[in-house]
Formats: sequence, C-alpha cells, structure tokens
Amino acid sequence: MTALQQTLLPRRRIVSASLTAGAILVGLHVLVALLSLVWLPHDPTGMTGGRLAPPSWEHWAGTDRLGRDFFTQIMIGSRIALTVGIGAVAIGAAIGVTLGTLAAFATRLLDDALAATLDILIAFPTLLIAMLVVAASDTASLGTAILALGIALSAIVARLTRILVKRVLLMDYITAAYTSGTPWYGVVIFHVLPNVWPTLSVNFALQFGLAVIAEASLSYLGLGAPPPNASWGRLLQEAQGTVYTAPIGAIAPGLALVSLVIGVNLLADGLRDIADPTRKGGR
Amino acid sequence: MSLIHHRALVAAILLGSVAFAPLAMAQDYDANATIRIGSLYEPQNLDNTAGAGQGINEAFNGNVYEALFQLTDAGTVVPQLVESYSASDDGLTYTFKLKPGVTFHSGDPLTAADVKYSIERVTAETSKSSRKKSLSSITGIETPDDQTVVITLSARSISLPYNLSYVWIVNDKATDITATEDGTGPYTLGEWRRGSALALARFDKYWGTAPTNGEVVYTYFTDATALNNALLTNAVDVITSVQSPDSLAQFQGNPAYTVSNGASTTKELLAWNDRVAPFDNVKVRKALARATDKKKLLNAIWGDYGTLIGSFVPPTDPWYVDLTGVDPYDVEGAKALLAEAGYPNGFEFTLDTPDYDPHPIVAQFLQAEYAKVGVKVNINIITANEWYEKIYKAHDFQATLQEHVNHRDIVFYGNPDFYWGYNNPDVVKLIADAESATSEADQVAKLTEANKLIAEDAASNWLYLYPQIVVSAANVTGYPVNGLNSQFFAYGIKKAK
Repeated sequence: MTALQQTLLPRRRIVSASLTAGAILVGLHVLVALLSLVWLPHDPTGMTGGRLAPPSWEHWAGTDRLGRDFFTQIMIGSRIALTVGIGAVAIGAAIGVTLGTLAAFATRLLDDALAATLDILIAFPTLLIAMLVVAASDTASLGTAILALGIALSAIVARLTRILVKRVLLMDYITAAYTSGTPWYGVVIFHVLPNVWPTLSVNFALQFGLAVIAEASLSYLGLGAPPPNASWGRLLQEAQGTVYTAPIGAIAPGLALVSLVIGVNLLADGLRDIADPTRKGGR
Repeated sequence: MSLIHHRALVAAILLGSVAFAPLAMAQDYDANATIRIGSLYEPQNLDNTAGAGQGINEAFNGNVYEALFQLTDAGTVVPQLVESYSASDDGLTYTFKLKPGVTFHSGDPLTAADVKYSIERVTAETSKSSRKKSLSSITGIETPDDQTVVITLSARSISLPYNLSYVWIVNDKATDITATEDGTGPYTLGEWRRGSALALARFDKYWGTAPTNGEVVYTYFTDATALNNALLTNAVDVITSVQSPDSLAQFQGNPAYTVSNGASTTKELLAWNDRVAPFDNVKVRKALARATDKKKLLNAIWGDYGTLIGSFVPPTDPWYVDLTGVDPYDVEGAKALLAEAGYPNGFEFTLDTPDYDPHPIVAQFLQAEYAKVGVKVNINIITANEWYEKIYKAHDFQATLQEHVNHRDIVFYGNPDFYWGYNNPDVVKLIADAESATSEADQVAKLTEANKLIAEDAASNWLYLYPQIVVSAANVTGYPVNGLNSQFFAYGIKKAK
C-alpha cells in the first residue's frame, strides 16, 4: 500500500458513508412505496378507528380526525412523493436539457435571448412558478402538480446544461469529432451528453429533493393532488389544528418528508464526489 | 295596533332586578374592572356599512352603537332606542316614538333626524351593508317631530323591527366614522391600535343601566394557538369564539377556566345544485341525506360539541322545529331510494370544496360515505374567491360545501335564483307571505311550514350546526354565550374581586 492510497482511504470511507446512508433512506422509501401497491395495513379511506386515536398495535401512527389510519396514508404519501419527484425531474430534464443544449448550439442572438429568459425564470421561486401553472389549469390533480413542478425545474436544468455544454464544446475532442465528419447530432449524442451527464445527474438528484418539498408545499396550500390522495403536505395541513392534542399527525408525515429529502441529498452528495474527481474528499 | 306588551316588559324588568339584586348588593364584582377580550376578528374599519367585517359587529354592536331594536343573545327582538311603536292596519306605515333623554357620546341628543340619517346610510348606493336588501321595501322616512319617525313601506314587512336591529343609530353630525364613532351605547371608543387592540371606555352619561365593568379591551390575534396561549398566560380574560375542539383540552376540567357551549347560527351545508340532474330529483337528494352519518361527521370535526340539524334553521330562529328525523342515517334505505330514482348503480359527481377548514376534511368524509352507496365523489378544491365567482354568481357547479353564518336566513330558500337553485312554488309563496304576515304568530307559522317543506324536499344536505364556544377565566362571568351575528355584548360582563 502506497502512501497516497493510505491518505485516500479514510476520505473514501466518508464519501461512501453519505452515499450509503442516502441509498438506505431512499431505498426504504422506494420499498415502502412499492409495498403500498400490493399491501396496506388498512383501507386508506376506511374510517376504521376512533377520532385521533393514539398510536397502537392496530394503528401504528394513530388515526386522523375521521378515524383513518395515519400509517397507511404515510405509505401512500411515499408513493406520491416518489412519483412526483421522478415525474417532475423527468419533465424538467427533458425540457431543460433540450433547451440548454439548443442555446449552447444556437446563434449568438438566440443564445442571448434564451439565456436572458432563463435568468428571468430563475429569478422566480420554483414554488411560485408551479403555483402559477396549477392556477392556470382548470382542476388540480397529481398530473398537473407534476407538470407544474417539471416546468418550474426546467429553467434551472436548462441554465446548467447550457453552461456545461458550452464548456464541453470548447474541448479538443469536439473539434476532432467535427473534423472527422460527425454530424452535429452525433456530436451531441456521443460526445456532449456523456460528458455533461455526471454533473447533470447530481443536479437531478438535488432537483428531486426540491420537487418533493415543493409538492408538499403545493398540497399544503390545497393546490396539489386533490383528496383523498394522501400527500404528506396535505397530511401536515390537516394535522395543523390538532398539533397539540395529537402531535403524531404532524410528526409522522414530517419525519417521512425530511427522511426522503435528506436521503436524496446525501445520495446526491455521494454521487457528486464520485462524478467529480477534483472534489474527492468532500467540501 | 301596539306590538309591545308593556306589562310583560315591566314584569321582565322587575324579575330581572329581583334576580340581580342580591348580586348588586353584595358587590362581589369589581365595577371598574378592565375586561380583556381575545378575538381573531379585527375590524378593517369602524363602520359596518363600509365592509369592516364581522369584527366590528363583535366590538361595537350594542356596546358602542345601538339600534331601534336589539337582537338579544337568545334570538328575540326587543325595543332598544324605541319607546313605543305602532303600525297602520295595512302594515305599510310604521310610527316609532324614540326613548327620551338619550344622548350621543359627543353630547348631542338623539333625534328623529339621526334615525333617518342612519337608515339612509345603510340603504345608500355606496353602502356595503349585507342588510341593504332587506330594507329595500322602505319608500319613505319622515320626521314629524324630534321624537317621532314614520317609515312607509311598499309592501308589508313583518321583519321590519328585526331588520332595523342591524341599523346602527349614528349621530347625523358625525364625520369620518370609519375611524371614530358617535353612538349612543354604554361604551365610547378609547384607544384603537390597529393590528393589536381596541379599547372601549364606560360612557358615564349612558341612558340605560350602567355596565358592570369599567373598560373593555378587545385584543386581536391572527393565530388561534396564540389566542389560546394568551388566555392560559392570563393576557386575556375571555375568548369570543373557539374554532377547534382540540384546543379545548387545555381548558376543560381545569377549575381556573369556564368553557361555555352555546348555539351559533353557522350551518355546515352540502348544497346541491337543485337545477341539474341528478340533484333535481328529490329521491336522489333524500338518498344522499340518508347516506350521511352526520353524527359521526360532527364528532370528527367538533368532538363532543355542535348540534345536529335536520334543516337550515338553527334552534335560535323562532321557526325552529326538530327535523333530524326526516332523513335519518340509513344506508340500505339510501340504496333503495337511489334505485327508485333510476340510479341502482350510483353515479359520479364533482364536489367543489372551499380550501379552508373544515371543508376539505368534510369532503373526504362524504367521499367515503357515498362510496358505500355506489356514488363516486370527485373533490375539487377551490378558493373562497373562486367559490364566489363560480358558484355564487355563475351557478356553475354540481354540489358544493359552504358554511352559512346568518341568523334567520331560511328566506334564501324562497329565492329560486339563489345559488343552489331550489325552486318549490309552495315554499316561495310561504316565505313571501310570511313577510307580509299580519302578526308574528302568523309569520312564525308560515316559516315553520316552509322549514318543514324544505326538509321534506331535502333541498340541501344540512350537515351540522357549529357550536359557539366561549372560554373564559373562571372569575369572569356574564358574557353572551350564543354570539348571534357575531355580537358580543360586553356590558354585562363581571370580573370577581
């Protein structure tokens, strides 16, 4: 073992610790979400318990005002959060990467116009843009919320993509590819995207966390998926009035939300350290 | 024709003084105490015809301003600034004699001109009073002398005295009453610190019985939890209206506090659009009324508080009868009715749900209940503003949830153009005839009949009546428990020494 390897070893352990913790937290949520598709402890809309029953063997996290099982609703909440996170990031990535790449390849004028538009969009908070999109649609639904958040996230993705692509386009291997007769779309697919992907993927993980929080906020405000979809944000909103008498109603969905977002962020941290060798060893 | 029973009035006063005599003699309360009232409803301004919100009624009605008649906490209408009155035989001319010796806080005496001015303020083009429409039958106000007001009407209006209880008598020389006041009530406006507190000081030249306290301070909170904490830390003496049963746990069973459970006039309502299928079918409406376990719903929202109602009329309205037995909870019966109506496999509808508590949770309850009879409910969450535009104005909905706060508002069912579109000619006629009734007994009989008809028709699904919960420190007594129309008379509040 060389001296260099020895100094790297403890750092590597830190890196994999955050990656492992993140993977475990996110994995747990994925498992619960998958499980909720085939098995739930109670009927999610069944009013099976008493009003605000405390946690018990029958109801692990107690019941809400209508006597519905909290744990069941939190399990469904996991599924909704993951759906929204994946859906919003997918839409944000599709729009954002396309726009960003286009801007990087475009003429000076078009590029400037796109860059200015993106800057303006980014000046508005993600949540505000999402609220505007939801308000513009007739009825609130899970689909609308995903679309709204996807559109809101796309500006951030597009701006990052544009800068990354521009940096890659200056590289010698791009010039080499052009010289060897590769058409522009071939350059994008085989040379540009593979080289911007590591950084982008880390960013997607962070956007995922952002989308989950934003969806909870939308649902808290009544703009997310309509009831009875058990979004964590709506559970928090409904528990607001009973936070003193039945605190579990606010604590349980709060914990679920925090654990998923921390998990995703840890995962993103770990991924970044792998993707970006210059920052190996943490901040 | 005199509508006042002088002897009954005298008897009531005598009885009252007998009942209160021992208290007064013992003087076990502090006559100069400051009563601190905690509330969530800060008025936007001080004028109830200028869109000031319910907070101004709570602070000023009966305390700073008085009217010709007063709506008591029990829901009856009694003369206040009127000494006596009579109506012509055709019921189109009312003559009011004002109480002598009444002065405004500015020192001006109360005259007939002030009354005319005050009524015209409410009916004026620019007035934002919610009672404007109910006074629209007034065609003329004359003032033959300083103590007499003659009102002429275009049609008989038995509720004129009741409607006049909403008209504050303001000095006609008063200016800028959105920020100051000039009324005849037992308190004058003290300091008003916008955003935090409004103080009322005892008016020593008050014409009637002096208040049992020296000063009242309404303290305003924007958050119910902060308000509850204020009572717990002795920063306020009384909370005017508690909006959730879950904050009561900290006061119940604690000898330092009194929790009173009165009857409000706020009704939680599942309003069908009676114009559109399938809700134009009375069997469908009755079926869904029977498919609703209202007892369970009330318990979910209000715990052990609140009242079940079988129609739109609360117990404090004179035409109340218990109609909870008309469509009792019965799932099998509901299914049978739906089959009779031609929906053996149920149907699907959209429930427009205002986005604030308790409507979303009520909507989810109904969704789960109606699934049991095969009816699928799609919940559509909307804002209060959307509700007003889409439902109240455009009538573009299938079913909606709303809380109706007004007292004596069964008359809405006599208006086929109202948002819910209920149109039963018998009810329309009964409600119109009740207004032109020649006696109160006749009016009550007709409205009771209308009340029974709307219940039989299941015109809407009346889910429950909100409780009116007032919590106070145990040493504070004498506050109103029903708080009709958000009134909160402070002059009888006593604080033990």
